[in-house]
Formats: sequence, C-alpha cells, structure tokens
Amino acid sequence: MKINKIIISFISAAVILLSTSVVSFAKVVGDKIVLGAAISLTGKYSSNGVHTQNGYNMAVDRINSMGGVKVGGKTYKFDIIYYDDESNPKRAAQLAERLISQDGVEFMLGPYSSGLTKAIAPVTEKYGVPMVEANGASRSLFTKGYKYLFAVLAPANLYLDVAIDLAVEKNNGKPVTVAMAFEQDAFSQDVRLGVLDAIKRTGSKKVIDDKLPKELNDMAATLVKVKQMKPDVLVVSGHTKGALTAIRQISEMKVDVPMLAMTHCDAAKLSKQHGKNSQYALCASQWHKTLTYKDNFFKDGMTYDADFTKEFGYAPPYQAAESSAALLVFKDAFERANSFDQKKVRDALAATNMQTFYGNIKFAEGGQNVDKPMVLFQVMCDDGGKCENKVVAPTKWASAKLIHPIPSWSQR
Amino acid sequence: MSISRNNLILYIGILIFGIAAPFLFPAFKVQLSILCVLIVLATTWNIQGGEMGYNSFGNILFYGLGMYLCASVQVGMFFPLSEWTESGGEKTFVHTPAQFFQGMAVGLIVAAVVPTIVAGLIGYSILGLRGHYFAICTLGLGVAAGEISGGIEIIGAGQGFTTPPFPDVGSLDSRGEFFYFLSFFVLVLTFIAVRGIYSTRFKLILNAIRDNEDKAEAMGIETMKYKIVGWMISAFFCGLAGGIMGGLVGYIDSTDVAFDGREMGVFMVLMAILGGKGTLWGPIIGATVFHIFKEGFWTFFLGWQYVALGVLIVVIVIYFPEGIMGWLREKYPERFGEVVDEKDRKAQVELK
Repeated sequence: MKINKIIISFISAAVILLSTSVVSFAKVVGDKIVLGAAISLTGKYSSNGVHTQNGYNMAVDRINSMGGVKVGGKTYKFDIIYYDDESNPKRAAQLAERLISQDGVEFMLGPYSSGLTKAIAPVTEKYGVPMVEANGASRSLFTKGYKYLFAVLAPANLYLDVAIDLAVEKNNGKPVTVAMAFEQDAFSQDVRLGVLDAIKRTGSKKVIDDKLPKELNDMAATLVKVKQMKPDVLVVSGHTKGALTAIRQISEMKVDVPMLAMTHCDAAKLSKQHGKNSQYALCASQWHKTLTYKDNFFKDGMTYDADFTKEFGYAPPYQAAESSAALLVFKDAFERANSFDQKKVRDALAATNMQTFYGNIKFAEGGQNVDKPMVLFQVMCDDGGKCENKVVAPTKWASAKLIHPIPSWSQR
Repeated sequence: MSISRNNLILYIGILIFGIAAPFLFPAFKVQLSILCVLIVLATTWNIQGGEMGYNSFGNILFYGLGMYLCASVQVGMFFPLSEWTESGGEKTFVHTPAQFFQGMAVGLIVAAVVPTIVAGLIGYSILGLRGHYFAICTLGLGVAAGEISGGIEIIGAGQGFTTPPFPDVGSLDSRGEFFYFLSFFVLVLTFIAVRGIYSTRFKLILNAIRDNEDKAEAMGIETMKYKIVGWMISAFFCGLAGGIMGGLVGYIDSTDVAFDGREMGVFMVLMAILGGKGTLWGPIIGATVFHIFKEGFWTFFLGWQYVALGVLIVVIVIYFPEGIMGWLREKYPERFGEVVDEKDRKAQVELK
C-alpha cells in the first residue's frame, strides 16, 4: 500500500516540527529574571485576567525603572512570559507544565481565579517552583500543605462573613435572615462557606441558598424568591459577571432588600456601568485606594490609583493591586535570599514580612497572607449621579458611614 | 485480520517511535500524552460521525463520566470520598504509591465499564433520533451532565475535585512517563480495536446505516443493535481517555475539564473532520495536525487563538471538505489502490 509512504512522510514531518520547537530558556537570562504566568485573556474570566496582567506589567515596569532587583551585587530586571489559559483549568495545568519543562521557568506568578490556581498548584509543587499568586483565594489551597505556594490575598471565606456580622450588629445583635446566591465555582463556593460559618456563629438563618450556573447571566428565579421571602441580607457572588447581573436584575425587578452584599464590584466597574442602580451595594474587597499602606515603589494607594489610571485608562480594581503586590513580594524575596536557588527563594518568601501599598504581607504556614484584613465598601452616589466606592468597614479604615437599611426602590 | 508486510513495518515503526518519544522529547511528555488522548477521542468519534453518519456531540459525556469515576474510585477505595471533597477539598489524605496505582487501575476499569453500560442504556432512546435531532440531543447530554455534576456535593460540586497527587516514586519525570505510557497504551488498544472492527462486516453495516438507514433495515439488518454496540465501543475508550486525563490534569471541574463540550467535545469532531472522517488514519492525522497547530501557534496569538481556530475551520471547510485523507485520496487515487480511467475522466471533464 502506497498510503504508508504518505503516513511515514507525515510522521517524519511532525517529528521535525516537534524537534525544531525545542527551545529552552533559562530562568535567569543575562540580566533578566524570567517569570512565567498563565493568564485568562479569553473566556469567562477574561476581564479579570486582563486586570491581573495589567497589575503584573505595571509592577514590572515600575521595579525595572527604579533599579530592578539586586542579587549577588548584580542588578536584574523582571520579565514575564505570558500564556493564555482560556479560563480553563485543564489548559492552565498544561501551560504551567509547559512554562516549567519547556520554557525553563523557575519562578511563577499565579493565574486569575481559585479554580485555575488549584489546577496549577500541584504542578508547581511537584517541580518545586515557587509561585506567588494574587488571585486564588480558595481556602482549600492553603490546607493542602503546599510549600511553594504563596498568596498575597486573604482567603475567600473571609470575604463576606463581615457583612453578616455587620447586619447582625445593625439588627441590635439579633440574628438575621440571609438569602444566598453563589456561582458554581471554586471561589464563590468558598465565599459561601465563609458566610455559612458566619450564619452559624451569629445564630442567623439562611432562607435561600441558590447555586447559580457559571457565566452568570440570569438570576431572576432567585430574585423572585427574595421578593417573596424578604430576607434581611442578600449575598451574591459570581465574579464580575455575577456582580453585573445581580445589579441589573435587582434594579429591573425592583427587589427591595435591607442589605446587599457582593464581591467583584470594583472589577465590574459597577459604579460606572450601572451608576445609581448600584447605589448602596456593599462589596468585599482585598484593597481600596484610601487605605493608608505605603511602600517605596508605588508610594500609597492613591498614587497607585492615579498612576494606574494614567497608564491603562481605568481605575485599578483590587485584582490589579494585588497582582502588582505579588511582584513586590518576589523582588523582596530575591534580594533577601540573595540567590536564584529555588529552595532559598522559597524560604525567603516564607519569611516575608513587609508592607506594600496594597497591605501588609506575611505568610502563614499554608501560604495565605494573614496580615491583611478584608475591607467592605459601599457604593455611594451624590445627587448628580456620580458614584464612588467608600470604605465602611472595618472601622479603622472607614471613610464613610454605612447606610442601612437600603431605601426601597419606591423612595429612590 | 490480516496485516500485510508493509503495514507491519509501519506499525512496528510507530510503536517504536511511540515508546521512544518521551525519551526523545522529554520536555513534551504532557503534550504527547494529551495527543494520545486526543487521538483516542477523534478515532472513537469517527465510529459515529464518520462511519455511521451520526454526528454525536455526546461522546464528551463518556469522557467526563470516566474522569469523575476514575478519580472517585481512586480516592474512595482508601479514604472517605465525601471528606476528600468537602469544602473544596480542605482535608488532605496522602496515597501511598501502592494505593495510588491500585486505585488508578481499578478506577480505569470502572471508568471504562460504566460509560459503556450507560451508552447501552441511553442508546436505545437516543440513537432512535436521526440527523440534526440526534446532534442536538447529544449536545444537550453533555451540557446537562456538566450542570448536574456541578451540583453533586460528593464529587466536589462547583468547587471541583482535586485528584490524588502522584506519589513520590522515582524521579521528577516518573509522573510524566507514567501518564504518557498509560495514554499511549490506551491509544494502541483503541487502534487495535478500531482497526479490528473496521476489517469486519461491522464496518460495512455502519456504512450502510450512514448511506441509507432505511434500506439497510429493509435488508434485514437490525440497525439499532449495531448503532448501540458502536456507541458502546466509543464509550469504553472515551471513558478510559477521560480517566487518564483526570489524573493528568490533577483537577476536575464539572464544565471546564470533565464535560468540556465546547472544547474537547468540539475538538474531537474538528480533528476527525480535519483528518478525514470515515477513514482509519484520518482522525489520527487530524488530531496530530490539530494538536501541533494548537501547541505550536496557539500561544503566540495571546487572546486571538479562537480567531485563529475560526480561520482554521474555514480553511478546512473550503479547501479540505473531505479532510486531509480525502484530499490526498482525490489527488493521488492510485496510492489508495484506486484505478483511474484517464480516458473516462477526460471525457467527463470535456462534457462539463
């Protein structure tokens, strides 16, 4: 059969193609420290993926222009190899493998979202590649005993439990009824766990506990139930799309609820996109520009906000800020380790204890940042319809007083 | 089945290459393993889509089932599964090497057998549909399975399911080698099985169903029986492929990894069509070309890869409507053992 010839020539062509693409990079090339990152540039997390990438790039430029990283008396500059993980864990794990075994990357930055971090962490752990991640908050990431995983953010279960405490406080210490709607993904379900803990702790009652599909475009069914049950608090979490969907449908359906607590308000640019409709929404955030943390590179939150807006044309959500902070942590660890040995860098990372514009960073045994509390802000609008996010809790950072309960739609 | 001498040389050559591949390209082990899985998926899809003329988008159901089953059995044999997946997998249990491999072995058997049974059970009702109705129905199967599994707590629900980490045996490369040889073994198994059935009357019956199902039935063929058996064969190997992929990725998510209809589910169709559906080698060539294209160029399009994929689909449809094999067959028919009557061909051209 002549067809064999075709197949054989085809296979040899494939082999040649494969072997020519074996190009290996060293992690430190000349005066460059090459970091690897798989980022969601397409797919359901693409908007937050871009925030993450912008945050990384901003910090790389800043650190490089301010003298770079000094290791062993020599100055190095950061460089990042990006791949697009398509918001898919399978792809992310594959790309981590590719970054490490083909591109020779020895230090990694995290992807966006808990699910993707969960997929990448076993790979980096296996190869002993230190990874500083800024966007994987799931609590279960920190109980697996990973030694090379460091997260600059507070775990997901701490996002909204404060909101329940706040509601109970406003209810004169009496338990409240809580309606919950969470997307079916690792992060949102972890936020749910935190809220469940808070409900149990305060003796409150959950009246609705809905799981919403991924790529949340419609939650009308849940909102109909909310209208009927009249809970004291409505908690919604579903990344950027979840926040946008919730506000859109709550305002369309005129759902009255005394407290609306959410995540990802700033990443969704709620106050800009939905204006007055998003007013009074209470949002969990890792960072806010008015917090008074400081560092040498970005100075403080307000300066970071201004610089970021100038460079990228929009105000930085916390996803960008925490991503920038990850680079600051790496720089600090490299200089303290004074070496590019992965083990030494890992130990230096574990001993991190520093302040950045984004907050204090100190890692617990499991790799989570234990030195930075979450903040809650509320969307507040003036009469002209200009809306702003103002921190309302914890009291140490509060720049405005919580408005509670939310006025009904008929009075707005 | 009989194997000619030339074929034997070809098969042995491929086998040797397959065994040597992870040592020749040590950095590409994961990609090579995924290539094996892709070939298995494309080849088994071809049984329905190519030979039988039933465009199934539902084979992803068996792949996802296999993935969840293999991981669940691997964990459940030694530890309480509900505790493993509780709260997104906060508790950590560690498999000893023996436990890991035993679990994997039993898990893979379950991952192959259960989807086969499922295919048999649902086959009777679903394979009664034809054409677009069948395609849409199977598309729904995959989507429904993804949404349902995303609500089942014991397999991690929306939090996902972290499969047992590979134990510390041998060097850093042992994990990659283990999964590569496992997937290569399944690939060889699939090839032998598919080649086996393609050389029997079974294939002719499938082709008869594709070409005219009513006529086939009128000739006394119990078409339903053959359709179901064909689907069960696909399910068997898709389940195995899923089980391996679960272990390889290390993290199972209901809609993004397991019942990944819009990626894997579409890719398997695309690969078979690219290579040439209805041929033995078409899906294999299609999967290889597709994978190399994807791995070689995908990452350079940062954010634009789906546009590139769209262009690829357009090119395939316009220039290779019959796939690479179909194109080659048209171009070099004598190499495929076809005799072309030049006079007749010319006469036809002149007629036009």
